[in-house]
Amino acid sequence: MFIHYIDLAWRSLRQTPLVTFLMILAIAIGIGVTMTTLSVYHMMSMDPIPHKSERLFSLQLQTMDDGETWLTPDDIPYQLTYTDAINLDAFPGDYLSAPMLRSGFSVHLNTASSKPFIENTRVTGRDFFTMFDLTFLHGNVWTEEQERDAAPVVVIDEEMAKQLFGKTDVVGESVFLGERRHEVVGVTQKWRPTIKFYDLNNGSFGKAERMFAPFSHVKAYDVDTWGNTNGWKFEETRDFNDKMNSEMLWVQFWVQLDTPQQRQAYGDMLMAYMQQQQKLGRFNRETLQYSLQDVNAWMNYNDVISEDNKILVGLSFMFLAVCVANILGLLLAKFMRRAPDVGVRRALGASKRQVFYQHLVEVGVLGLLGGSLGVLFAQLGLLGVRQTYNYYAGLANMDWMMLLSAPALAISACILAGLYPAWLVCRTTPATHLKVQ
Amino acid sequence: MFELKPTINALMRSKLGAVLLILQLAITLAIVSNAVSIIQDRLTYLNKDTGYPEAEIFKFNALNFDKNLDLLQQVELDEQTLRDLNGVIDATAVSSVVLSGSGSSGGMQLKPEPQESKRVNMGYVTGDEHLLNTLGVKVSEGRDFTEADVVVIDESDARPSVIIVSRSLSDELFGQGKGLGETLYWGADPLTIVGIVDTMANQWPKSSFGTKTAMIPMIRVGNFQKFLVRTAPQDRAQVMRQIEELMLASHRERVISDVTGLDKKKARYDAKDVLMMRMLMTLIVVLVIVTALGVFGLSTFNISKRTKQIGTRRALGARKSAIVRYFVVENALICSVGLVLGGAAAVLLGQKLMNWYSVPALSYHFIATTAGLLLLMSLLSVLMPALRAANISPSIATRSV
Repeated sequence: MFIHYIDLAWRSLRQTPLVTFLMILAIAIGIGVTMTTLSVYHMMSMDPIPHKSERLFSLQLQTMDDGETWLTPDDIPYQLTYTDAINLDAFPGDYLSAPMLRSGFSVHLNTASSKPFIENTRVTGRDFFTMFDLTFLHGNVWTEEQERDAAPVVVIDEEMAKQLFGKTDVVGESVFLGERRHEVVGVTQKWRPTIKFYDLNNGSFGKAERMFAPFSHVKAYDVDTWGNTNGWKFEETRDFNDKMNSEMLWVQFWVQLDTPQQRQAYGDMLMAYMQQQQKLGRFNRETLQYSLQDVNAWMNYNDVISEDNKILVGLSFMFLAVCVANILGLLLAKFMRRAPDVGVRRALGASKRQVFYQHLVEVGVLGLLGGSLGVLFAQLGLLGVRQTYNYYAGLANMDWMMLLSAPALAISACILAGLYPAWLVCRTTPATHLKVQ
Repeated sequence: MFELKPTINALMRSKLGAVLLILQLAITLAIVSNAVSIIQDRLTYLNKDTGYPEAEIFKFNALNFDKNLDLLQQVELDEQTLRDLNGVIDATAVSSVVLSGSGSSGGMQLKPEPQESKRVNMGYVTGDEHLLNTLGVKVSEGRDFTEADVVVIDESDARPSVIIVSRSLSDELFGQGKGLGETLYWGADPLTIVGIVDTMANQWPKSSFGTKTAMIPMIRVGNFQKFLVRTAPQDRAQVMRQIEELMLASHRERVISDVTGLDKKKARYDAKDVLMMRMLMTLIVVLVIVTALGVFGLSTFNISKRTKQIGTRRALGARKSAIVRYFVVENALICSVGLVLGGAAAVLLGQKLMNWYSVPALSYHFIATTAGLLLLMSLLSVLMPALRAANISPSIATRSV
């Protein structure tokens, strides 16, 4: 029966090519516009690390004196001081934690033929790789001793290994960061999350780094951040050592806490730590405050989804509503015109339910056609987005979920539009139309 | 003469079609007027004068990695090399690049820290006495920096003592038209305003303090050094091509990167706004097309439904013009209701957008203009089916369907 209805639908659509074309065009444009904005929204709001996003926490400490305010909704600074990051990373306990910052070096092989290039580098602790699921192809992360001694070592990814050496197995090879020789101890698989969720300070959709160095290098080699440094009070800082000892905020800190017990214990430790620091003259506050936010909360807190995008998604759904109203009108016209045919079918024994069902199938076919064309329109739209704003290149794409939801949305929209006309037409009383004929 | 009563009566008998049209027009008006308002706001920003001849200026970075290099000496050598280059008007090493979206900002205040006083946020750039000339801006009051003003940090404990600010910064601190010769405080350091530039955007022209800019005569060299170069507009491309080779010839152990025109830098900074504008424009265009198609489709349907009645009216002596008028009046009625509702919806949507997001208030003339244009579009879309209806032969009345 379903096949038969599809056949009927096809015949009916071909009977009125102009109206059919208009309806398909309307739904396709509506879907095209909606899917363009929705795809970008979807990519921006997607959980970047679904299986453990609830166990990874970005740490914030309220280091500022009472009365100071910050740009964040809760007035707690985004980043930590170097002192706190180092102290907290040294906490004993069976959880993973990583202080980190974005820096960069001019990288070369110290040969005449290798042209130096600038490479963004994540300077971080050993736990980073486990916490954020990086896979090692060759070698491994630097050892605890190497971390402690600030040994000149690096981890690079396969893409960079190929760029430098033409192969991926380069453990033991040397690369130069500026004038300093470093040994490659590990090569990771390419890792490029669409959202740079572990570092939302430096552009949420920037590329993930391809090179990693131990956090102890910060002190040993005066590695400064290439990201933001924020101060909240006047401090005389003449050199890098002053900066490391200052109240300036420039280090990010993530911790992995697997169980509520761990979370509780960690929170207690943070409070104890702040109280201890208070005795040293820091944290001049009535109430001590920290914040641990998991990956999704952190993205929300950092407004990863742009305001413009939210406005566009809202407007395009309103636009889709216009398209639905449009199609409703056209369907009404089309179905009512066919009332005499329906009268004959009803007279010949078709039930109301069958007539209703048949018309909904027709509307569904319309939605499927419109949705498919809509996907094409959306691809054009996304191409336009990528061309206008290169930075969104990784975001302006449709994944399989979006590709499937486009026809689904189109069919639902069409069925929504078709319900009333189909109901009207199935109520046709056979007698009236038979009489006129 | 418009036969309003029969028209309304006829409408009341087949309400749904009219309701759908009203709905479409109302939503269209709400979306389009708000979208136009947002576009207008972005356009105003994009067309705003930054004060710089962006097409004549470009920037580049040099990252040195030679530990033994005398950085200051190298920077001075580089500056001289650049200034001697054919086609270059001026060049200077800077702390950050205006219009680029990255750099240093801070507060300037009336009293030294830690005293409480009025504080104004601003973006600042440090460089030497060539800074203003390289940026292509001129002081409208006071004087430019001289060589004696420039302080090299790290050589001594010396601090800069003078500053040049944008008019909007001095106005905010000292009041309209004042500021020249006054002293402001940067942290605890006093700086005397020796010059004021009328228009001079900072690194974040889009921000709330985008016009508040300070130029400080100070050189602090580091491994990572930014340079600005101004050339005659026609020479820029050719000078930019030479930069990397020229800089590496003078010192090999460094990386030259991001040789980019200031106009391109600004375009990158603005790309998000351009994207929003294009998306909204696309939305408006397709929305108007879809609505026009809706009006067209529905009138066509109405007319075909009423073929017999039209024939009867014609047979009873109605002129062709009366038939056309009937449909146009009918459409105008529907349209007016839709636009009145849409006007209210537009105001409501505008308020919601303003509450939730940083969108400017929707001014009523956008709604009025959009409504006028939508009415025109609607009447144009109904005209063709109406003219076709007028051509229906009266004899149709005597035939059965």
